[in-house]
Amino acid sequence: MNFSVVTSQFWSLALQGLALGLIYALVSLGYTMVYGVLRLINFANSEVFMFGTFATLYIEVHFLGYDIGAPSLHGFKLVYTLAFALLASMLACAILAIIVELVAYRRLRARGANRLASLISAIGVSIFLLEGMRMITISRPMTTPRLLDKWSFGEFHGANFRIDTVLTIVAPIIIFVVLDQFVTRSRLGKSIRAVSMSEENSKLMGININRVITLTFCIGGLTTGAAAFLYTTVYENTIFNVGFNMGIAAFTAAVLGGIGNLRGAFFGGIALGMLEQFASAMLGSQWKAVTVFAVLVVVLLFKPNGLFGEAVQQTRT
Amino acid sequence: MANLSSFNLRDKGAEIWAGWSRPVRTIFVLSMIVLVGLLPFAATWGPTSFLNTPITSFQNVLVYPVGMFIMMALGLNIVVGKSGLLDLGYVAFFAIGAYTQGILSTLYGWNTWEIMPFGIGFAMIAGVILGLPALRLRGDYLAIITLGFGEIVRIVAINISVTGGPNGIPGIPNPPTFFGLHFDLMHPETYFWLVFAMILLVVWMIRRFTVRRPGRAWEAIRQDEDVAALMGVNTLVYKLWSFVIGAAVGGAAGVLYASKVMVISPDMFKFDVSILILACVVFGGIGNIWGVILGAGILAYLPERIRFISEARQLVFGAVLILMMNLRPDGLLPRKKREKITEKRSM
Amino acid sequence: MNKKIVSGLAIAAAATLALGVVATSPASAAAKKSVTLAFQGPLTGGDAQLGQDQIPGAIYAIALYNAKNPAVKVELIKADSQCDGTVAANIAPGVAANKAVIGVIGTSCSGEARNSFPAYRAAGLTMIAPSASAVSLTDPKAPDRGFPIFHRVVAHDGFQAPALARYAAKGVTNPKYYVIDDMTTYGGPLAKGTLPTAKKLGTVVGTDSVAKGTADYTSVASKVKASGANVVIYGGYTTDAAKLFKALRDGGYTGILASGDGTNTSDFPGLAGKAAEGVRLTAADVPFDSILTKAQLAEFTKITGIKVPGLYSTTAFNATNIFLDCISQGKLTRSAIQLCVNSGTFKGVGGDVIKFNRYGDIIGGAPVGGYLVKDGVINYDAVA
Repeated sequence: MNFSVVTSQFWSLALQGLALGLIYALVSLGYTMVYGVLRLINFANSEVFMFGTFATLYIEVHFLGYDIGAPSLHGFKLVYTLAFALLASMLACAILAIIVELVAYRRLRARGANRLASLISAIGVSIFLLEGMRMITISRPMTTPRLLDKWSFGEFHGANFRIDTVLTIVAPIIIFVVLDQFVTRSRLGKSIRAVSMSEENSKLMGININRVITLTFCIGGLTTGAAAFLYTTVYENTIFNVGFNMGIAAFTAAVLGGIGNLRGAFFGGIALGMLEQFASAMLGSQWKAVTVFAVLVVVLLFKPNGLFGEAVQQTRT
Repeated sequence: MANLSSFNLRDKGAEIWAGWSRPVRTIFVLSMIVLVGLLPFAATWGPTSFLNTPITSFQNVLVYPVGMFIMMALGLNIVVGKSGLLDLGYVAFFAIGAYTQGILSTLYGWNTWEIMPFGIGFAMIAGVILGLPALRLRGDYLAIITLGFGEIVRIVAINISVTGGPNGIPGIPNPPTFFGLHFDLMHPETYFWLVFAMILLVVWMIRRFTVRRPGRAWEAIRQDEDVAALMGVNTLVYKLWSFVIGAAVGGAAGVLYASKVMVISPDMFKFDVSILILACVVFGGIGNIWGVILGAGILAYLPERIRFISEARQLVFGAVLILMMNLRPDGLLPRKKREKITEKRSM
Repeated sequence: MNKKIVSGLAIAAAATLALGVVATSPASAAAKKSVTLAFQGPLTGGDAQLGQDQIPGAIYAIALYNAKNPAVKVELIKADSQCDGTVAANIAPGVAANKAVIGVIGTSCSGEARNSFPAYRAAGLTMIAPSASAVSLTDPKAPDRGFPIFHRVVAHDGFQAPALARYAAKGVTNPKYYVIDDMTTYGGPLAKGTLPTAKKLGTVVGTDSVAKGTADYTSVASKVKASGANVVIYGGYTTDAAKLFKALRDGGYTGILASGDGTNTSDFPGLAGKAAEGVRLTAADVPFDSILTKAQLAEFTKITGIKVPGLYSTTAFNATNIFLDCISQGKLTRSAIQLCVNSGTFKGVGGDVIKFNRYGDIIGGAPVGGYLVKDGVINYDAVA
């Protein structure tokens, strides 16, 4: 146990935990949205994330032509480039997520198959995408140029408010607010909630179930794509198996917050990010995963539906 | 091809089986056992030599992954198939069995037969420790907890010294000679017979359970836990039992495995193994012993058989999973039709 | 998806497999005089990069040899172990059963090596490893040693770890070490091996173990900065080293960064960007592209399709060449090869002399070189 690190580094750890946690939160939406309507773990979402990191990399390096040694961008050009890469990554992931739904879920659902069958076909898709990317990249890690120079806004008790840290905090919050409004206010959002409450009744009310499910995968893909962009921008590298750890973390975050629940994913992600940072600092990084799961078990024992599973009922039965 | 999805070979088989008299059944079972027992020689016998695996050794492939996967899939099937609990960390029990063999044999010089009950026992204890809190939860929460448990066992093995850290445990002895049968590297066929015997034992055990009270309780829990509880089934106890029995089978497989590979290390017990075993169960036909055996056999054997396509074989493996699940969502040999119910969606 | 399409796909898939079956069977009927070497290492799975970086070295060496039109041609089979002892335990008996195979280039990983020894020992098949560097593999007293079939053309961690600790602190008075590893069979022991030397030269102010593949290293960076360390040593591979070093530099750490041969790949400067500047690396392997001439490198690219040779392609090339030397001397059986490798004296591509001791290590120890990253290029600096 090392408490001195925690007291001296408290704000720094909290800030980093928040930034990391919000990336987890965005990816966990890919699990939680799908779980909300289908009651299935979307196992292929980790590879959707992986695809997004490569999409970002492709756009920046090959499409826009910024080589590894390219100097950092400034002003309007920076904003335009990053926005373009962000949109491209979101779009690519959304399209892939929709394809995943068509290949792994739609046919099985139409036949009323066992839910585990969908789980396995999603795992099949996941293996396929992972190995496909591995063969394309010959197992090599890849890197993006540092387009966003890491200047700092200033320090607060040792916590360094760097531009990329601030970006990974601000962008997900905006996305969550927009998404939350969309789900609670818009017609389509309401139909998603309707389907997640009762598929049969929604059908009776004339909601096109397939369209709603496609929409759900699309939204999950969009947020996962945004997370992939942020990840690539902050960490500036990717490799074919980057999705595995991210997928497990995001799934854990979704469960911690209450799976199937939008706000649960948000706070679950933040909680997980913080927990990882503080556990690494206090107990050593090797016990990080153990601490996370121990906390998860305890939380689920006392709140069997996750931290926010009970409080926010509108997206869950 | 038209009725591919609705054709149920399992029901057909059960029909034929029901039509046989007792002696015919006995003869059939005995001849099947002999045939399977001859399997290690299939690769060298002309007409069946197409079974041979390129690059890897066929007889060893029969032991691991084929035999071991079948055994573990049968164990996991008790948990997932019979009582409907989604366990994503089954590899933990396998690891516990393997480490029991590794530690007790290298530190205390015990042999495999002496260690076997301890390996099974420790796996069962782990099953209780994990099961007591985890089984109070439902469905996908159970999935994440078991997944976490699988990772924890591996991480603990990396971080403590008695398990040898990331290096693992080298120099694990083979089992001693047993009735003139040598268990060492030069005799993979005897290992196969040993694993086969254990598979038969597990199959017998599962069939006994299924027709008795636990089997009916599991079936009730799988179909609707609330109703089962209402009808007086102590759901937690029976769920725990299925969990612990599944763990025992995994532990036994682990003990055997460690004595076969002689060196174990934490990276052998990754999450992928849990997923693969689960895939075996679902691929073959969840809940049906024969389906699970067939599924595990195919999924363990296929990647080895298609090694000639080298690096693309994992890609093909993924594609096969997608295709087969789409074609036959209930698996190759689904469970009996009357057992097939639409499970409660809230699981 | 349309049902017919799906069925059609299934048939197509089945046909592909069936064709594969046909295609494999007559392959062994080649009448020409040839022998086979097997490469065993990870080519798929999470550790695939390690094997994928090495195998071009072997392919290149064999292509050069076969281009000289020798009496006996050499073929290469790829035995993909996925760096997994379980898989290796199956592959090794399979490779051993293939009578055409007279030598094994491998294994890449130390873990799989130990699972492969029993089968290769029984078959009398000689192994020359390009990268398995765990000390115990050649330790006369270790239960998992590879005597008498195992050899390696790489310095084991017992040499590298102290050298790394020395080289990292070169020119630093009162070094304060922070040692981090990646919890793998390679990184863990390497990092722990630096500790005794580090304690002798200065103080160890902290250690940490971060699982390979972790995304975020900022908490480690915070800890390192708080500890006041001025020398950070990392035991692990390129990808994670790049992430860690970036996080450290971005987090305001200004001291020395150092890592071992797992990080010493031509990918590293690109991956780590500015954070790579001044990083001290050791290696029992000399980067292949620093040895080859421009024309040779072009030829290498033409043959293997790889632009920049990866980690351990040099040692893979050396290991293959030792076998090829023996084959060109007319040693075509397993026992002849074993005798030849055990007693022969060979030349490495860099001009170094290779002769194995009784337990399979290079006599005098393979040299451990110290490298410095400057302007995005890894340059040889001094013997570490």
